Amino acid sequence: MRIWKISLQNIKSKKGYTLVSIFTLALSSMLLLGIQQLKKTFQYQVNNNIEKIDMVVGAKGSPLQLVLSSVLHMDNPTGNILYNDAKKIGESRLIKTAIPISYGDNYKGYKIVGTTKEFASLYNAVLDKGREVNKAMEVVLGHDIAKNLELELGDTFLSSHGLLENDLDVHSEYLTVVGIYKQTNKVIDRLIITDLESIWEVHHHEKEEHHHDDGEHYHKTEHHSEKEITSLLVTFKSPTGLLTMPKRINKNTNMQAALPKYELDKLYEYTGVGFTIISVIAYVIFLVSSLIIFISIYKMIKEQRFYLALFRTYGASNLQLLQIIAYETFTIVSIAFLLGIAMAKGGLYFMFSILNANYQQTRIQDLAITDYLELGSLVFTVVVLSVLLAIYPIVKMNISTTLSHEK
Amino acid sequence: MIQINNLTFQYPTKEHVFKFPNIHLKEQENLLVLGKSGVGKTTLLHILAGLLQPTQGTVKIDDVSIHSLSHQKLDAFRGQNIGLVFQSNHAVNSLTVLENLQARLFFSKQPVDPKKIDVLLEELGLIQLKKHYINELSQGQLQRLAIALSVIHNPKIILADEPTSSLDDDNCKVVIELLKKKAEQTNANLVVITHDQRVKSLFSNTLTL
Repeated sequence: MRIWKISLQNIKSKKGYTLVSIFTLALSSMLLLGIQQLKKTFQYQVNNNIEKIDMVVGAKGSPLQLVLSSVLHMDNPTGNILYNDAKKIGESRLIKTAIPISYGDNYKGYKIVGTTKEFASLYNAVLDKGREVNKAMEVVLGHDIAKNLELELGDTFLSSHGLLENDLDVHSEYLTVVGIYKQTNKVIDRLIITDLESIWEVHHHEKEEHHHDDGEHYHKTEHHSEKEITSLLVTFKSPTGLLTMPKRINKNTNMQAALPKYELDKLYEYTGVGFTIISVIAYVIFLVSSLIIFISIYKMIKEQRFYLALFRTYGASNLQLLQIIAYETFTIVSIAFLLGIAMAKGGLYFMFSILNANYQQTRIQDLAITDYLELGSLVFTVVVLSVLLAIYPIVKMNISTTLSHEK
Repeated sequence: MIQINNLTFQYPTKEHVFKFPNIHLKEQENLLVLGKSGVGKTTLLHILAGLLQPTQGTVKIDDVSIHSLSHQKLDAFRGQNIGLVFQSNHAVNSLTVLENLQARLFFSKQPVDPKKIDVLLEELGLIQLKKHYINELSQGQLQRLAIALSVIHNPKIILADEPTSSLDDDNCKVVIELLKKKAEQTNANLVVITHDQRVKSLFSNTLTL
């Protein structure tokens, strides 16, 4: 006979109560963890990917859309701008780097981005295998794509038009994998990088198929004036640029300049309210389930009063009675908490797998162990307090009275 | 061996003072305490068990004055030397018959000897019910389990509070005989407290409160 055996038997003898307790506590743990994880994922997504990009220049439209599409790669682009116009902006002495990007195709839902060699340095991406793109129709894959699609160096594939996976509108030129980046945990992990020429070439072929034999060089010179890109990612030398350039571009050109930090802070403010509300709801649920825990423990102890008194007549100490109650409660709470973690993880992965069917860009940020410990210790504090509060009358109980007032 | 001297008891909120006669029981001597409800039968039993502190007087079990022991020592003394039988609610519902007996021995810090448990259960006709839960037992079986719980640890004194009130005539006699037999086997004093007149003829030593 061990004390934990008595506790286990107690749990077994009231399955209904146990299930309800586990469920409510698991639910509130799930919500608290889930909301934290979601918030962290969102913050990470935003902060990590805009680090080096001070300004985005693209077609007129919603500035937020421009930022979402060109920086976070989460939305459709606002349109195209002329490469020559963009180049002129890039020549300003206020600008440190100006990286053109151009996209509009995908492979199995992963976005293909035509850009220059500097793009990778925005995300500190370094090659894991192979080399950078040297000529048109070569691609370097982000880490996740190579992993998820099991692509290797030398593999070839056909891209499809648009940003969503489809079999209807497939281009006829094969792209060849020449390199794979190391993992960065940034958006580039889920992008296919090629040069601008490849994007232009693929699309010119559609317009003027008969030029094919003349090769890429021909296109370059012939259509240079018409070449378009989606946007220009700009870093400034000093904050002066940040103050003057966006205004100038928005006023004097038919392009628009958007500031990722500003736009996303605004977005974050909107969504932040949502997060706060959900957090408050989660804490209310937590409070309610704490109360339920306390009431359950209190009720349980009251019901077991007679047995606990009986054990006292057997010679059991108060400490042993406390152990019986504590083991019982902590078993239930631990199961509930672990279930809550599992539910939070499962729920989020399920949610993201639905979302990612559209934009294969977001990855869930795992919570640090300290986040779990924080919530865990909160839950356990509530439980310890409940047990101590509920056991107090038992410690003080008059065994004689308890045994005389039989049920 | 039990010696009760000059015992009085008063509940803190009540004026009435219970006065109990002096009682001296030699080894293996049994006592039936009869009385109507309200005369302090259960109070006396709880004082004897050390569950209540008397206002005055002493209770000595084997020359140990139990009410001068510290709280913890009294708990331990009670656990090891006293066996209690209650009118109802004798065992823990969530445990089986066997587990109840194991818990009884565990809490009084005695070795949990499976053979000893089996012998006792066999004797009380409960051996087939060993793995059964308490709510699967009949009234008579429950009362026999209560006896098992009160003697499994070889106490020096067995105190029974209305052990027969919920039983029919046949079971009533069986239970008292079993209690007397077990007390004899373990060299214990048996004190039965009841208002049940059926029991009177089964004891030679009777005290009416």
